[in-house]
Amino acid sequence: MASNKKYWRNVEELKADSSLVERLSQKEFLEEIPTDTFLGDKDNLSSSSTTRRDFLKYVGFTTAVASLAACQGPVLKSIPYVVKPDNIIPGVANFYASTMADGTDFAHILVKVREGRPIKIEPNKMAGNWGSTSARVQASILSLYDNNRLRGPLAETKETDWSSLDKTLIESLNTLKANNEKIVVLTGTTASPTSNKIIANFAQTFGNVQHIVYDALSESAALDAFFEMYGERALPNYKFENAELIVSIGADFLGDWQGGQYAASYTKGRVPVNGKMSKHIQIESNLSLTGANADKRIPVKPSEQVFALINLYNAITGSNFASNPTPADATIKIAANQLKKAGSKGVVLCGIQNKDAQILTNALNEALLSEVYDFNSPRFIKAGNDEAIKNLVAEMTAGKVGALLIYNTNPSFTLPNASAFNEALKKLKLSVCFSMTDDETAQNSKYVATIPHYLESWGDTQFQAGNFGLMQPTINPLFNTRQFEESLLIWMGKNTTFYQALRENWTTSILGTGTWNQALHDGVFKGSNSLDLTYNMMEVASSAAALLNQTKSADFELNLYTKISMGDGKQANNPWLQELPDPITRTSWDNYITISATDAKKLGLENFNVSNGALNGSKVNLKVGDAVLENVPVYIQPGQANGSIGLALGYGRTAGMQTEMMTGVNAFALMQDLNPVQTVSIEKAAGIHEFACVQLQHTIMGRDEIIKETTLDDFINKPKKEWNETPEFSLNHEEVSAERVDLWEKFDDTVGHHFNLSIDLATCTGCAACVVACHAENNVPVVGKHEIRVSRDMHWLRIDRYYTSDMTNEKAKEAGIFGTGEMFNTMTIPSENPQVAFQPVMCQHCNHAPCETVCPVAATSHGRQGQNHMAYNRCIGTRYCANNCPYKVRRFNWFKYANNNEFDFNMNNDLGKMVLNPDVVVRSRGVMEKCSMCLQKTQLSILTAKSEGRPVKDEEFQTACSSACPTGSMVFGDINDKQSEVAKLTEDVRAFHLLAEVGTKPNVMYHLKVRNTEES
Amino acid sequence: MSHYEAPIREPLIFGDKSYHDISVDVAAPVEGKANKLWWIAFSIALTAFLLGIGAICYTIGVGIGVWGLNNRINWAWDITNFVWWVGIGHAGTLISAVLLLFRQKWRMGINRSAEAMTIFAVFQAGLFPIIHMGRVWNAFYVLPLPNALGSLWVNFNSPLLWDVFAISTYLSVSLVFWYTGLLPDFAMLRDRAVKPFQKKIYGLLSFGWSGRLKDWQRFEEVSLVLAGLATPLVLSVHTIVSMDFATSIIPGWHSTIFPPYFVAGAIFSGFAMVQTLLIIMRKVSHLEAYITKIHIENMNKVIIVTGGIVSVAYMTEFFVGWYSGSSYEDYTYLSVGAATGPYWWAFWSLITCNFIFPLTLWFKKARTSLIWSFILSIIINIGMWFERFDIIVIDLSRGHLPSSWTMFSPTFVDVSIFIGTIGFFFVLFLLYARTFPVIAQAELKSILKSSGENYKNLRKENHE
Repeated sequence: MASNKKYWRNVEELKADSSLVERLSQKEFLEEIPTDTFLGDKDNLSSSSTTRRDFLKYVGFTTAVASLAACQGPVLKSIPYVVKPDNIIPGVANFYASTMADGTDFAHILVKVREGRPIKIEPNKMAGNWGSTSARVQASILSLYDNNRLRGPLAETKETDWSSLDKTLIESLNTLKANNEKIVVLTGTTASPTSNKIIANFAQTFGNVQHIVYDALSESAALDAFFEMYGERALPNYKFENAELIVSIGADFLGDWQGGQYAASYTKGRVPVNGKMSKHIQIESNLSLTGANADKRIPVKPSEQVFALINLYNAITGSNFASNPTPADATIKIAANQLKKAGSKGVVLCGIQNKDAQILTNALNEALLSEVYDFNSPRFIKAGNDEAIKNLVAEMTAGKVGALLIYNTNPSFTLPNASAFNEALKKLKLSVCFSMTDDETAQNSKYVATIPHYLESWGDTQFQAGNFGLMQPTINPLFNTRQFEESLLIWMGKNTTFYQALRENWTTSILGTGTWNQALHDGVFKGSNSLDLTYNMMEVASSAAALLNQTKSADFELNLYTKISMGDGKQANNPWLQELPDPITRTSWDNYITISATDAKKLGLENFNVSNGALNGSKVNLKVGDAVLENVPVYIQPGQANGSIGLALGYGRTAGMQTEMMTGVNAFALMQDLNPVQTVSIEKAAGIHEFACVQLQHTIMGRDEIIKETTLDDFINKPKKEWNETPEFSLNHEEVSAERVDLWEKFDDTVGHHFNLSIDLATCTGCAACVVACHAENNVPVVGKHEIRVSRDMHWLRIDRYYTSDMTNEKAKEAGIFGTGEMFNTMTIPSENPQVAFQPVMCQHCNHAPCETVCPVAATSHGRQGQNHMAYNRCIGTRYCANNCPYKVRRFNWFKYANNNEFDFNMNNDLGKMVLNPDVVVRSRGVMEKCSMCLQKTQLSILTAKSEGRPVKDEEFQTACSSACPTGSMVFGDINDKQSEVAKLTEDVRAFHLLAEVGTKPNVMYHLKVRNTEES
Repeated sequence: MSHYEAPIREPLIFGDKSYHDISVDVAAPVEGKANKLWWIAFSIALTAFLLGIGAICYTIGVGIGVWGLNNRINWAWDITNFVWWVGIGHAGTLISAVLLLFRQKWRMGINRSAEAMTIFAVFQAGLFPIIHMGRVWNAFYVLPLPNALGSLWVNFNSPLLWDVFAISTYLSVSLVFWYTGLLPDFAMLRDRAVKPFQKKIYGLLSFGWSGRLKDWQRFEEVSLVLAGLATPLVLSVHTIVSMDFATSIIPGWHSTIFPPYFVAGAIFSGFAMVQTLLIIMRKVSHLEAYITKIHIENMNKVIIVTGGIVSVAYMTEFFVGWYSGSSYEDYTYLSVGAATGPYWWAFWSLITCNFIFPLTLWFKKARTSLIWSFILSIIINIGMWFERFDIIVIDLSRGHLPSSWTMFSPTFVDVSIFIGTIGFFFVLFLLYARTFPVIAQAELKSILKSSGENYKNLRKENHE
């Protein structure tokens, strides 16, 4: 409200028309300025002089001022809220429940939104196992800000607007309808009840419409098998928490097998409780993440996996189906006995993409009456039908298809016969691609109806029978995009938005007594499971015979697989995922064939380190049928079955991509007949490939105290000293634990909070979700392939992976070569089929930090809550701290990583920078950085509790990694709160500190891994 | 006669030299014109220096990433060069201060140049800790300056900070000591100068030295006091440099033997560098009469002793690495892993250059051979460079966690900066050789009558 008060300057003003007031108001200055007197005094003026010095001073001053005024600083736009939105408080994050379902990754999530920008994906703890966020789900936030996204719809590669696009398309669709030409809607698995309903309506409206679902990572075989046995095209669910014995034949269930999301339930049985834990046997060709976590792993060729499955079936059921012997037979016999003993607590999983193999597996689980095998609440996250897509290509080539609408799948990239598909696609009367980027399919389609990212979209899901979820927009659409369903509704002439359709569908058919608002708030909704499936008893003999018949052994069998980071290549333009080292090979920015050392030697292939330590490898040409892939790098992989090679899918994308991200070769080209197992011929190619591998030494070099592990037997029967010995030093002539030996007076750290992080190596599967979560939370820069190659990775959190070697300290002592060069040199070589261990390593926040004492300027020092702080502003970059860190977790900013065209990743464009966490500073060149134990998060929890006048709850303290960990392996909290989970974990018998004998007293503890190796 | 010297001692000044001859000989390079050789050498050194400046500017402009370092090996050529140059800078003070206190007259022929070398080497050394910083523009943070940055203060626990003090103290004391010695010699040049400009410059440089008795008395006293001050510095500087490593916890660095071993190594390499320079200089500047075989042999004897200490240290390190039974220790610098691992070539270069070749000096023939002394002095300095490279790079490349093992390879910029400092060093030394009295002629004159060859011969004839 403006004030009406008037201030009087003198009494004259009270008079209505005072001449004085009138006169004064005409004058700018109340008193005369004596310019006339001054200028009129000619004598004085002419005698006054400006000296040369004065003149120069004036000139200098004016020039300086003028040039200063002409300089313009960079304009940083900062726009305040004129009208502040109700729910947004600057500096305070909002969380929205949503769901990711992009056809490959399925998860219920929470989206952290700051000032209207989604900046982080968190797991939705209400959603149980479906709330786990994998590395790719965590990274999907960056795909929202992908600078290569299309800004609007395209018509024949030219930008267009929606109204003209709609006009053209409605016309075309109606013409097609009038001519009764076939319209095909080709989608990836949506798992969305409403979308499927809209597609069905669309089909009704336009008559001759076929909806084909195509998954690049297809589970068609398992779906068909399940359909045949239970009458529903879905995937069985596995409740690993009930398992005592897991036998997996080629099933990478910690990876992408049947859509994944099994890590949480699997690891529940992997910690010994009351002397019991599950046992896991893996029979596979490539060393998968699952195989790396197995208690026993037998490498066999893909064809032998089939024989192994039949042999296992025979051994359990007593059948006598024809099969062949395999290297795994001895184990299979033992496993069969154990499975029989375990009965309903046992389960058999199978990753063979063959309907008969899947039938056999399901039948086995039925025979075992397995409690793990849950067919009554099946999963809908894979629906692709291989036969249908094969047919489609044939029909398109034959000219039987009029129009193709492609959504959420990229067949021009993922089909093995992509060129045939593309040719046919170009000839179609109408082809519309619903895509976010100008990807391979979009480039081959006539029209691109640009769709928003899932974080800008409405949607719903049903991952599993009765398990519903909602997707809601967390930001206004960044570009001129429109959802697929919205477009269909418009083209059908419906006058509703997709949101309305979604809400209506939920109210009428899903919610029942539940409310929309609650469902939207939770992101998940427990609906009714109307399925009541029963097993149609099958005669499996024919399946076994057919299976054997279809299986051919070959000298070299190619087993295509997917990486944790890249999946099917949907997010290939995501630099976080490109830079994420593969948990097994620890190599990023590439795919390559994995081959056993024996085979590599036979073919003359090699891996070697160059003078800066970086890894180089040979290249090969691969030939599958007529398809040839040239110059594929070779990575020698311990644990790879002889006679088999692996090659990751998802790489080799070139369309709608930034140049830096166009890495690797497209392995889909080799997936003939959509089968990931192929007979392959290998031929050495000229040239050397340069890898970006962050771990160059694969074995532990006899330093067993670094990653402690024991067997279940020893864990139960032997005293702790034998499997978890605490290092001891002599103090005052008495042996005490190394932790107690101290040069200094101890600070009193029992007051206030004292943070500890606990990492259970028994439940850490190496899935790398934590690595990406840390990347996102802490604005960790992406540095690109070359920098990774030369060991300048910036990840604050890494997951070390160690293989066992045939040479151990014990063996060296027996052979009398302990401490010799021979011992060391043999130790560097991993076993042919090694045991694998993962160890996440981040700053250990030592209470006696070696980095703190050596910094000349005290830029790194200890906090009262246990953290080791970094004051970036104070750091001058001597790097002494990083040298003196025994864990090598400190990361130096070798270059300016933001706003630098040499590092053209997300921090070099305005769009990509939107993902940055405003609570964490972006580090400048020349300073050291490292894990802060998510100081910004703990501080927020403390302040929130303080402002609410209550103590902090244990679960409120989280780091990005502990919160993202799908298996609960990482637990963070305050050890001064004796009731906290982490305080209890410090007392655990399995707890140990990394390099405790160095005396650093870390605030990160590990729990040793227990392997269930009993053979009886 | 206070300066009586037994005739059986070999003379320190050869030839029939008078006081005037000494003045003429010492002033000759300053008063004469530079020859072609000097200009060629100077051009090469200057080019190298400019290359180094370019590389340094490039580093500061773009980032330390232009070097070959990585997140596991955060120091390599930078600190190797730093320690190497500091080590080289040890001989000068030892010769001028310690030998002064021990009344070793032979030092007078070489102390001026040895000390000049020291100072120039410390310049090079000081460069590296500065340019190796990620943010050079904040380098002043290492100084305990009262500041407006809150309660920020330097961290007195950090050996890097001790380095700051150790190096700056050493440089300033050496500089003052050197300059004090130069005063009478500058005065000599002033007095001989004919061109007014030169006269003015040397007049200024000589601080008005008049040659009165009081001047000489003060000169002697200050020299003695400064020698007393400088002597502990000879031991302290490299002790503190060694603590950069010894106080850390990295296997191979964490070693209590480092301080004495580093000091011995420093003197070892310093004397080698003095040999390299003086063997050339005596020839080029015609100073054979003053820098004699006795000087060379005496320095070789110091090299035998310090080289021996270093060799014993190597053996101790190797033994302890194995004896500890710790696989961490056993895989590091000077140990089984280093000898057989990927850096075997660096390990064996060190052993060959620093242990095997210097053993030849036990033979008098080798010890007195100028050619061999010259070659060996270069071999030793190569070996000493490798010693520092081995300590820093091998240890960092094979740290506690095998997952972080990697290797280092220098880039063009690393190499250019190193070459640049060598260029800078020679630019300074060559300029020095043309403008400074390269021999402490005033001191030398004090022993002419006791140690000069002709005077000794005279005494012999007179049966004194």
